[in-house]
Amino acid sequence: MVLHTINKVAALDKCRGLIGPDDLVVLIEDGVYLALSELPFRTYALEDDLLARGLQHRRLESVISIGYQEFVELSVKAEKICSWF
Amino acid sequence: MSSILFILSGAPHGSINAQESLDALLMGSAFTQCSALFLGQGILQLVSHQETDDLGVKNFALGFKALDEYGVKRITCSVGDLQQLGLSTDDLMIGIETLDDMAMRQIIKDHDKVLNF
Amino acid sequence: MKFSIIVHGAPYSSQACLSALNYAQAVLVAGHDIVRVFFYHDGVHTASNLIAAPQDETDVARRWQQFGLDNNVELIACIASCLRRGILDETEAERYEKGTANLAPGFTISGLGQLIDASMTADRVVTFGV
Repeated sequence: MVLHTINKVAALDKCRGLIGPDDLVVLIEDGVYLALSELPFRTYALEDDLLARGLQHRRLESVISIGYQEFVELSVKAEKICSWF
Repeated sequence: MSSILFILSGAPHGSINAQESLDALLMGSAFTQCSALFLGQGILQLVSHQETDDLGVKNFALGFKALDEYGVKRITCSVGDLQQLGLSTDDLMIGIETLDDMAMRQIIKDHDKVLNF
Repeated sequence: MKFSIIVHGAPYSSQACLSALNYAQAVLVAGHDIVRVFFYHDGVHTASNLIAAPQDETDVARRWQQFGLDNNVELIACIASCLRRGILDETEAERYEKGTANLAPGFTISGLGQLIDASMTADRVVTFGV
């Protein structure tokens, strides 16, 4: 299982095809704006980034809000991390 | 020994980053088994006949010709992105393996670590 | 587990520098180790001693410095990226006759080999890009 980080909306096109069915995505920084739309992956979003952008109640319910500790936990569970920016 | 996949997705010359990412790839290949995957605008780094003297920037892409010598066995790019750029492998300065989405997911799986540039 | 963290962005020019710091702190809180943090491309600006952040703003560079010193974490700025961007330690300032060095305490200037070693040695490698 690969953990993919996405830090901006434009990066999604770069990596969409490379995210496998077992993989998960962590939206960070401006990437949390993707939490407003349906994504075909298991998606998490950094809470601090959602809060800063006023998205904490606007994100889709399917996107799980996490803190940095959970981000690290997910990093441990994954085999490797792939960062898209 | 840890193998590293370098994913290169920045266009050349618009910033120094593409040149610096090649430097990282060459250094990597001196240490361990490395492969390269060019995505999106990163494929443009390999376009042949770059003439940089008039602009006054380094023709760093010539360094890609050394990849094979440096032991970088797999030099790959996204077939979809290559087509979207309106290019074919004939436009590129080195031989390259074109990969579809499934093959790109596999090459990521095949390496221990990924370095994104 | 051992983590290596790579930072491509300068303070304020992107969020990379801040996100990476928050992540690095969480790594240590979770009881893991950091092999090193490698600053590349514009990320080397984090190593500048000349950043004077406004009082009411987060001084990310200073926080990185403190993080490195408090936790004995290696903060490496790539030498080639540094020279291009004017981040110099005493040795390089003298070598290039620049009159003054500006590398912040807690940071070391070194080569790309440190990036590769960091990537090979760690169990997990994360890049905070721009």
